[in-house]
Amino acid sequence: MFSVLSYGRLVARAVLGGLSQTDPRAGGGGGGDYGLVTAGCGFGKDFRKGLLKKGACYGDDACFVARHRSADVLGVADGVGGWRDYGVDPSQFSGTLMRTCERLVKEGRFVPSNPIGILTTSYCELLQNKVPLLGSSTACIVVLDRTSHRLHTANLGDSGFLVVRGGEVVHRSDEQQHYFNTPFQLSIAPPEAEGVVLSDSPDAADSTSFDVQLGDIILTATDGLFDNMPDYMILQELKKLKNSNYESIQQTARSIAEQAHELAYDPNYMSPFAQFACDNGLNVRGGKPDDITVLLSIVAEYTD
Amino acid sequence: MMNSHRTIESNTRTSPLNAEVVQYAKEVVDFSSHYGSENSMSYTMWNLAGVPNVFPSSGDFTQTAVFRTYGTWWDQCPSASLPFKRTPPNFQSQDYVELTFEQQVYPTAVHVLETYHPGAVIRILACSANPYSPSPPAEVRWEILWSERPSKVNASQARQFKPCIKQINFPTNLIRLEINSSLLDYYTELDAVVLHGMKDKPVLSLKTSLIDMNDLEDDDYEEKDGCGMDNLNQKFSSTALREGPNNGYFDKLPYELIQLILNHLTLPDLCRLAQTCKLLHQHCCDPLQYIHLNLQPYWAKLNDTSLEFLQARCTLVQWLNLSWTGNRGFISVAGFSRFLKVCGSELVRLELSCSHFLNETCLEVISEMCPDLQDLNLSSCDKLPPQAFNHIAKLCSLKRLVLYRTKVEIEDYDVIASMIGAKCKKLRTLDLWRCKNITENGIAELASGCPLLEELDLGWCPTLQSSTGCFARLARQLPNLQKLFLTANRSVCDTDIEELACNCIKLRQLDILGTRMVSPASLRKLLESCKDLSLLDVSFCSQIDNRAVLELSANFPKVFIKRSFTQ
Repeated sequence: MFSVLSYGRLVARAVLGGLSQTDPRAGGGGGGDYGLVTAGCGFGKDFRKGLLKKGACYGDDACFVARHRSADVLGVADGVGGWRDYGVDPSQFSGTLMRTCERLVKEGRFVPSNPIGILTTSYCELLQNKVPLLGSSTACIVVLDRTSHRLHTANLGDSGFLVVRGGEVVHRSDEQQHYFNTPFQLSIAPPEAEGVVLSDSPDAADSTSFDVQLGDIILTATDGLFDNMPDYMILQELKKLKNSNYESIQQTARSIAEQAHELAYDPNYMSPFAQFACDNGLNVRGGKPDDITVLLSIVAEYTD
Repeated sequence: MMNSHRTIESNTRTSPLNAEVVQYAKEVVDFSSHYGSENSMSYTMWNLAGVPNVFPSSGDFTQTAVFRTYGTWWDQCPSASLPFKRTPPNFQSQDYVELTFEQQVYPTAVHVLETYHPGAVIRILACSANPYSPSPPAEVRWEILWSERPSKVNASQARQFKPCIKQINFPTNLIRLEINSSLLDYYTELDAVVLHGMKDKPVLSLKTSLIDMNDLEDDDYEEKDGCGMDNLNQKFSSTALREGPNNGYFDKLPYELIQLILNHLTLPDLCRLAQTCKLLHQHCCDPLQYIHLNLQPYWAKLNDTSLEFLQARCTLVQWLNLSWTGNRGFISVAGFSRFLKVCGSELVRLELSCSHFLNETCLEVISEMCPDLQDLNLSSCDKLPPQAFNHIAKLCSLKRLVLYRTKVEIEDYDVIASMIGAKCKKLRTLDLWRCKNITENGIAELASGCPLLEELDLGWCPTLQSSTGCFARLARQLPNLQKLFLTANRSVCDTDIEELACNCIKLRQLDILGTRMVSPASLRKLLESCKDLSLLDVSFCSQIDNRAVLELSANFPKVFIKRSFTQ
């Protein structure tokens, strides 16, 4: 049974040389199945580093990458840190949510065109656990349907994704916030706090579907990235991606995450987060220390 | 599917090299029960297919296959059913699960990866039918690969169970495990099943199956050749007997005494005995011998022909157990209907658990032919369409009805509870496990309408909130409660426990798994007050740690305090 990462290598080698990111005719009309070559990197807020392992956690963030015959699926979840004050480990909820999504996908209990379904089913499964799970997190799920060449996404909260083609952002997710620094979130609250704790339904997630082409780059990340690194910086890094080789993707993911991590602790840097605060009357500057999770994928031809 | 091709060489004589195939299960196709919710991945039987998720770790994990019950707790409840007479002592199976594999092989080994409280598997069978073949098989045979009495395993840790199986002369990709959980301290959990076998029929026995001395002593394997229907049906058939010279001294015995002696025979033995002489034939075909008819142990062989042969003797049958029988085409709707038309009039108890041949017509026949039916068990009959259940309404004498895992349509459990509270004033036991939308309103109706309730299972009912006072109300209005399950209700709190301590002193079994709001102090009060308490499940209750359990156990040694764990 191959791991996702080594599959990535096989696929990458098969298309090496035959791909151009800037050629709009590459793929799209290709009749074969598509797949995602994905690598990830992240940093927990307390300087815990890590290369992507399947279903890894970076601080209170969690993510997963899963493969099924019909689709490639990945997701990120940002655990809400406030639970720590009540003695609840915020990474338990996000981690379990992502691992459950991964299991769902591997067992085929999903429909590629319904990523909100993955979130809903996964959330319901959390409630079926004997262990009384508590906590909340955002969630962003991205599904590539192999045969239709369509990308289906579901986003609840302020994590999100970008799709880059020809050096430009062609699709992106919208942030969902109730108010400042309070994103939409899935949650399980203790019974005494129900009604007081923010708990959004999986149905509240935004969902989009669109065609993708061979060579399209998909970046899925938690707000630790987007709050510290504006688009142009991200695009600059992505330009350095020469091919759809797994190692290159991993290197790029890492450099993006590292850069965001550095900027987060720069007190003078005008981060997107600081900019937004200023636009809303708060006189602040500097990065935003946060957990950072970056999943970087390229659409490539899929061979079994 | 995990495929490892290892060639196994013959030992002395020349024989063709035979590749061994090792497979995990492809699909779970049938089972009698599970702990989890029907569409869920948590604690459900479907987890038994595929590669292991947990093994070799031990613990109570969601990704394993868990059956609905364990130990003898359910036999000690008010709702426990009395056992059938004439159940053969070697039939101890309580649950089963059937799995398919990709390739048919001649099995050389079946391994079961158990990850929690191992030791429940007591029988393994193989079927000759290929569930994936497009054409229905000519003959379906089940052969026992391995069988043993339930025995206690003293550890709760994970193990790879590798029983020594018998060789069979047909290839199979359909394996059945039968389970007995009565000796377990807690729920058993299974992670995967591995089938080792040869693609081609072994020319010589490369591995002789051990001859177990127990096999030779007990008549353990029903029909040792296991060659199908004919054997059982032969015993049932009424062959014409010659008039013999005399009957030994049997005819000196009073009729009733011979009847009494025959009561101790198993059904196949009774039918064999019928073929020995005319006197015993008369006795063995006497309908009084068939007041209780338990056909569940013979599920692997029972078919329409068997029912036809038995018909004439079963006109007075009162308790009939056809659970697990008739699947894969063994019993037809027509055959079942015919049998009931002849034998249904005196029926008081009918067990039809996992009888997948049942359809709406069958329920119609039951409702017409069995007017005095008091006890009907349709658990896991998940092929019955919702409208089939309308026929049950005609059974006016029903006292016990089991609809576990059926497709009976219920929109609003509060309405059901309300009806029960209004119409079933004498109700003693009620199982509402996993009733998704019952609220405090339904509970209120139940509590006020059914004061005689002794047993109430509200496990995994997420819409019940302690803050509404519903559990306190239950405790105050149901003083006869012996069993109360509030499994995974996260709102159960100290107040509720204290109300139970005050009001439900007859309590014997309590399950409060998964609440964070109950402290050791209130449990102590409960244990002091409820002297008959024998089961207390406090698994995953955050305030009740191991130390608390040890302390309580030390002070209340007669109580089994259960605390499950994941690691």
